[in-house]
Order: sequence, then C-alpha cells, then structure tokens
Amino acid sequence: MQRNWWVYLVVLLVCVINFIPYLWVVLTGFMDQTALNTGRPVWVFSPTLEAFRYLIFEKHIMHNFFNSVVISLSATFFSVTIGMFCAYAIARYDFPGRDDISFWVLTNRMMPPVAILIPVFITFQTLGLLDTLVGMILLYTAMQLPFVVWMLTGYFRDIPRRYEESAMVDGDTWFQAFRKVTLPLMLPSISATAIFVMILSWNEFVFATFLTSTQAKTLPPAILAYSVSADVEWNVLGAAVVLVTAPLILFVLITQRQLISGLSQGVAGR
Amino acid sequence: MTRAESIGVGTAKAEKTPANRRSLLARFGPSNRKVFPWVLMAPTLLILFAMGVYPFLYALFIASQNVVLSKPYLPQIFMGLYQYQLVIQDPEFWHALRLTTIFTLEAVFVEFWLGLGLALLFQRALRFGSVLRIFIMIPMVLPPLVAALIWRYMFYPGTGLVTYYSGLVTDLFGQSAIPFLSDPDIALQVLIFVDIWEWTPFMFLMMSAGLAQLPRQPYEAAEIDGASAWRVFWTITLPLLRPAILIAVVIRTMDAFRIYELITVMTRGGPGNATTTLNVYLTKTGLEFFDASKAAAISLIMMMLIVVMSFIFIRLLRSRTDVAN
Repeated sequence: MQRNWWVYLVVLLVCVINFIPYLWVVLTGFMDQTALNTGRPVWVFSPTLEAFRYLIFEKHIMHNFFNSVVISLSATFFSVTIGMFCAYAIARYDFPGRDDISFWVLTNRMMPPVAILIPVFITFQTLGLLDTLVGMILLYTAMQLPFVVWMLTGYFRDIPRRYEESAMVDGDTWFQAFRKVTLPLMLPSISATAIFVMILSWNEFVFATFLTSTQAKTLPPAILAYSVSADVEWNVLGAAVVLVTAPLILFVLITQRQLISGLSQGVAGR
Repeated sequence: MTRAESIGVGTAKAEKTPANRRSLLARFGPSNRKVFPWVLMAPTLLILFAMGVYPFLYALFIASQNVVLSKPYLPQIFMGLYQYQLVIQDPEFWHALRLTTIFTLEAVFVEFWLGLGLALLFQRALRFGSVLRIFIMIPMVLPPLVAALIWRYMFYPGTGLVTYYSGLVTDLFGQSAIPFLSDPDIALQVLIFVDIWEWTPFMFLMMSAGLAQLPRQPYEAAEIDGASAWRVFWTITLPLLRPAILIAVVIRTMDAFRIYELITVMTRGGPGNATTTLNVYLTKTGLEFFDASKAAAISLIMMMLIVVMSFIFIRLLRSRTDVAN
C-alpha cells in the first residue's frame, strides 16, 4: 500500500481535473452580482438563490424540466421494450439476412443528426408533430433503438437457449418462458441499457433545438437560450447547469452498480 | 406431447379461442421459426423505417434537386449528381474533412491510452475506489451541451478560470495572455482537449469492464515464467482486451466524427474556418445558407464515410473473435 502513493497522486489529479470545472460553474450559480463583478475567480462568497428564482419563477424553466422528464422516460420505456424483442430475434433465430438486418439497424445510428433534420422537420410539419411531446418521444425512441438492439443482442447470446426450451417442455408457452426465465436473467443488462438510453435522451440537443419551440421544449435548448448571448449572466448559466445535471448525477449515483455489472456482462458476451 | 404442443400451440387453452386466432398463431406464432423472428422485429423495423429510411430517402431526393429553403421561387429541377460534384469541388469540404480527421484521430488516440491507463491503475485494490470512480466519470455524465458551456466559460477572455490563471503565469514571464479560442492555430487543439476531457471516462469505463472479464490463467502462467509487467501487458492484456477495445473505439470514432455541440457552443466553427468540421460545415450550408440540396449531399457523403469506417471496424471485430473461439 505505501508504495502505491503515486497511483493515488495520479488518480486524485485526474479527479480534480475532471471535477473542478463543473464545481466552479455550479458555484457560480449561487453567486450574487458583487461576486461576479470582481474580475477574477472568487471561491469564497455568500451564496444566494437569486439565479434559481429568476429561472424558475420568471423564465418558468420547470415547464422544460417536466418536458424533459416525460420525453426521456417514455422514449426509454418504448425503445427498450420494442428493441428487446428485436434483439431477441436476432440473437435466437437463424434466418436469412440476419447479419444484414443487424448491421442495417446499426447504420441508423451512423446518420449525422443534422442530416435527417430537414426531412424530419418537413415531415413533422405536415403531420402536425412539430413541438409536441408525442413527436419527440417517437423521434427519441427511433434514435435509441439501434443502440438498444446492438447492446441487447450480445447479452441475449450469453443466455443459453436450453433454459427457455426446458421451460417450454414443462408446459410454458413461449411468452411465459421468455418472461419467467430469460427476462430475469437479462435484468442487469436491460437496466444498464435503459440507464444509457435515459442519459442519452435527457442530453439530446440537436433535434430538441430545431423541432421544439414552446410547448415541448426540453431543458438543453432552453438552457442554451440563456447562455450564448454576448452579455451572458454567468450565475444564470450556473443555475441552469445545476438544474439540468442534478437529476442526472443523482440517477447515475443510484444506478452505478447496475451500470457496471451490466456493462461487464455485455463485453464478456462478445 | 408433440413439439408444437409443448410450446403452446394447440393446448387446451388455445382450443377455446376461435379457430381463426388459432390459425393466426400457427402461422405467425413462436412455432413458425421462419416468420416469428420477423414478428418480433416488426415494431423496431417499422419505427426505424419511418424515422430512418424515409428521411434518408427524402434526403436522397432533396440532394438530386435544387432546393434552397430561402428561395422557394426557384424552379425545382432534377440535377442528378451535380450537388455531389459541387461538394467535392468545394475546397471548404476538403478543409472540413481534414479538420474532422485530425480531430477524430487525435482525440480517440489520446482517449484510448488515457482510459486504458486509468483502468489499469484502478485494477489495483484502491482504497475509496468506488468514490474516486464516480469523480472520474463526471465529465462523461454531463450533457455534451453542458460540457461545452462549462469550457466556454473556463476559456472566457479575462475572467474564465483557465484564462485567468494561465494569464497569471504568462504575466510572470512577461508574455501576453494566450487567446485560447480566438487563435486559429490553437482553437482546434483546445476543442480536442475538451473532447478528451469529456470522453476519456467513457474509455475508462469500457476498459475497466473489459479488464474485469480477463481470465486469470495466462497471468498465472506469466508469473511462473517471470515475465516483466511490460511484457505481460503487451503479450497478454492487450490482445485479450481486443474485443472491448474495438467496441469502445468504434463508438467513440463514430461520435467524434459527428462532433457538433462542442464546436457550436465554443467556437461556432471559428475563428475564420479554423474549427469548421464536417458537421459544422453541413449546418452552415443547410441552416445558415438554407442550401438544403447541397446540405443533403454533404450529409450523405458523411454518412457513407462513417458506414465504411464502421464496416471495417466490425469486420476486424468479427475476424478477431472468430480466431479467439
């Protein structure tokens, strides 16, 4: 242990570099004008909730917050449920064109988001889906499906099919066997995948910026609006960063264990 | 009991249902190994078709026309492959492609080695390991937009944390402050640095997961042989880790190639066009100059590049795992 001091030094240094920028922006969110106007970084100041009050009561940012929660939760639920069956089919059945299908599913994630923006925009406009929660949920479900299918295919391959077959010999239907035998074994991997999908949907920015304006606007575009003007109020930026990241960090802290165990299962399966 | 009965077709329960439902189940149900996988995949394929293939074909159509969103009075005419030719002859395109390649190669290379190094350090039983791991993972968990905003703030002229403290150091040597984001020679490197900051934790996570799965026996054998740590790393760890490495590198390469938020928020492609990567070039063409047709052509060229790259990676992955089995 004593000879490991340099390991701790390196690790601590990385932790500091990774954490300080975020910490500083978060601190800024609690600063008042005198602390902001000193012309140099201030580390000690008397905190105030002024910026939060401004965002919540004058800019009604909780509306965007609510949109983000509804859209990411729904998109996660739908993409994992739908993608799970697709991954199962690819992993379990040997049908002609299987490899092509699985590669094609993945190519849907290779498209630069900006590339399909204009067609999607025109289509959404025609169907009246612009700036609606339904439209965004549909879009995010589609965006995350390739990732879900790709992750879960590997995990399904890990579970021997004879488990299901023996359940079916005992009289279960296919669906009962799937629900009682395969699904519980898949749970760590499914939750790890769902956590990733949740984070990706929460963070999505490009489509949210161009496809929502007032009704369905999510947090990321709302926050950008308060922070790229030339005379940006840094404490408002800080407060906005706290609002968008706090749920996420809480979420990752709670699910850290599932994330790592699910991930390692997947890597082993390939 | 026949095999068909054992998996739920023609059992007592099913007999109570109307005959047509029974025949439906026989035709599309789990017992039909040819059709059933397609039934399972149908929802996914439908959604991907509506939200992936259809916009793609639409983009393909737009790229063959002459659509300028700000000039709806222009006659829409078929132009064949002319838009693609325009893109390939545009020096801006080659400039953007060069920047994107530099960005991707440099960022992914550094991220990989840093991530692997960190993962190896964490393989030792570190005290407070799980707490430290959380701190290391913070940048990856932040929304890319937030990471970009944070670093815009850090490099803000005058009061930004990095600008201010590096200014103190340069003052000591009688130099003027470094213009991180406004000097065309450094701006791209600063963006690469931020990408490395943001995504090394991802590599770290993937490499940790890979390392946790390595078998013990080769290491025990190496210990008996008295191989050096360096040699063990090159001849055992790295080759065994290959599948995990390839997955992590494919994902990261694809994403670095499409980098968008970071550049939009921090430099908007500037100063001049010093950080105009492909995605920024594409957005400028489509959403600032409203040249929808040229933008569609650019995006299709970009997509082809990414598909070819991933295809090569996936081939590599397959052949390697086949050899291992």
